[in-house]
Amino acid sequence: MTAPAVVSAAVPAIEVEALVKVYPGGTRAVDGIDVTVERGEFFAFLGPNGAGKTTTIRILTTLLRATSGHARVLGLDVGREAGTVRRRIGFAMQTVALESLATGRENLEIVGHLHRVPAAELRQRVDELLDLMGLSSVAGKLAGTYSGGMRRRLDLATALVHRPDVLFLDEPTEGLDPQSRSALWDELARINREGTTMLLTTHYMEEADRLCARLAIIDAGRIAVAGTPAELKRAVGADTVTLRLAATDGASTAGAQASAARRLEGFEPLVGLEAIEGGIRLAVHDAEGNIPALLRRLDGDDLHVIGVALEQPDLDDVFLRHTGRHIREEAADQPLELGW
Amino acid sequence: MAFAYESWILGLRSIRRVYRVPANPISIILFPLIQLFVFSQLFRDIVQLPAFVGEGTYLQYLAPGQVLFTAFFAVAWSGGSLLADYRNGYLDKLRAAPIHRYAILAGELVPLAISVAAMSGTILVVSVLLGAEVATGVPGALLIVVLAAAFGVAWSGVSFIPALVTKNEQATSTFSLLLFPVAFMSTAFVPAELMPDWLQTFNGLNPISYTIEAMRALMNVGFDWPLIGRAALAIAILGLILQGGTLWAFRRLTA
Repeated sequence: MTAPAVVSAAVPAIEVEALVKVYPGGTRAVDGIDVTVERGEFFAFLGPNGAGKTTTIRILTTLLRATSGHARVLGLDVGREAGTVRRRIGFAMQTVALESLATGRENLEIVGHLHRVPAAELRQRVDELLDLMGLSSVAGKLAGTYSGGMRRRLDLATALVHRPDVLFLDEPTEGLDPQSRSALWDELARINREGTTMLLTTHYMEEADRLCARLAIIDAGRIAVAGTPAELKRAVGADTVTLRLAATDGASTAGAQASAARRLEGFEPLVGLEAIEGGIRLAVHDAEGNIPALLRRLDGDDLHVIGVALEQPDLDDVFLRHTGRHIREEAADQPLELGW
Repeated sequence: MAFAYESWILGLRSIRRVYRVPANPISIILFPLIQLFVFSQLFRDIVQLPAFVGEGTYLQYLAPGQVLFTAFFAVAWSGGSLLADYRNGYLDKLRAAPIHRYAILAGELVPLAISVAAMSGTILVVSVLLGAEVATGVPGALLIVVLAAAFGVAWSGVSFIPALVTKNEQATSTFSLLLFPVAFMSTAFVPAELMPDWLQTFNGLNPISYTIEAMRALMNVGFDWPLIGRAALAIAILGLILQGGTLWAFRRLTA
């Protein structure tokens, strides 16, 4: 084992340059990925199964050799300095990897021992993590008896025992019920707030949207686009504002619609208007900021806005824009890996 | 040192699996136990054949073979736990940890030696309780158990190799089953003199027979070092081939 390298805080947590992975069968799982994740950032790879997310994360966690390109974690080359990288990272995989015939506490201790966490510190850390994950009361029970959500939390805890600087999470909430998922999201956000850099892969848009400061949409082994969720959504186009209108003085809805159109003439953020039953649908830039002005223009003697609905593009729209497909259509099971 | 520590931590994990599901070791020793009970009665009078001269009761003849059978059964599915680790991602978890890769394998093999010794020892104790005698006393009995454990570790390659290569539980257990005749055709039940020529030739190559013969000498005669040496050599060659194959398959899987 090499001595721990001195890592300056200025070095990005993750640097990937022109990364390519071609599997023996010829599949180009990763086809030239460049990405940099700063220290303390919460970053996500969003994309359908088979997009290359897992392959990239397996290269970064030293489990897989890249065909070409560079991948560094905390400035350390994941190929040549794998041993040092392994000491600094935590890794929770798509499938929960626990020893079913060991208790929750023992599962944490095994990982802690392998990472050479000193005994006294380990005891304290294990207690702390069990408490954090709400597993203290079942710490002495075999992990095989845990529920799905408990197993996920324990698995995540095993990735945190040695206080990693960078935490890799491959589809961390896959297969969880909405309640457990939401609880785990809170947990992940908190771990990140305490300073751990997070790299997560997911095909759940809500997950990327809610957790990440920045994300990369990855498709067919390439990064289609990267940015903050807000940036990416804004770039897709205008928001949709749906207004329900009521005409006063017995005038028809059609009259109200015409009147609304008249009043909105020259309203800068407006990029589209369409009459629908009982009201109008508008395409508006930055609707959130412009709705008050919009309503002030519309509301008047002969016209009343009785309902407002705002719809912003979601990450699926972003995905659609950049790949021509929906994420959900692509979500399929991982191919079965066969021996011979 | 680091390697030893990591193997120890992972070995503890493997040992826990054995004693936390006692049904496993119990079901393993049940078969040799039944053979010991049933065959020692069923073939009680077979010892009147001239080939058995000087062997005492049939139980006395049968016991060392059943001690070895126990080791044989105990490792028949030994590759299963590594396969389960591979499937559920635990192997990846260990590979992403800052440990020596081969500590993962050592963490499987060392506990295997311990559990095989415990199970084979149990069968030996039961044999003695039934009336078999160990001419070499406690030191000889311990040597019998050590031989059984060494054989078990060497033989476990027949499960590890197909497990790591096929990554399929069914293929792995079928392969182990196919090798059962190797144990049945050994000198566990009858002396080679009673076998047809081709089987006698086969037994000249069967490491199981060599090991049983050394054990039998320890029970019936004394410390027959040439026989013990031949058994040790047979186990060493077997181990070199099968564990060499295991190492190759493990490297291939974790490359």
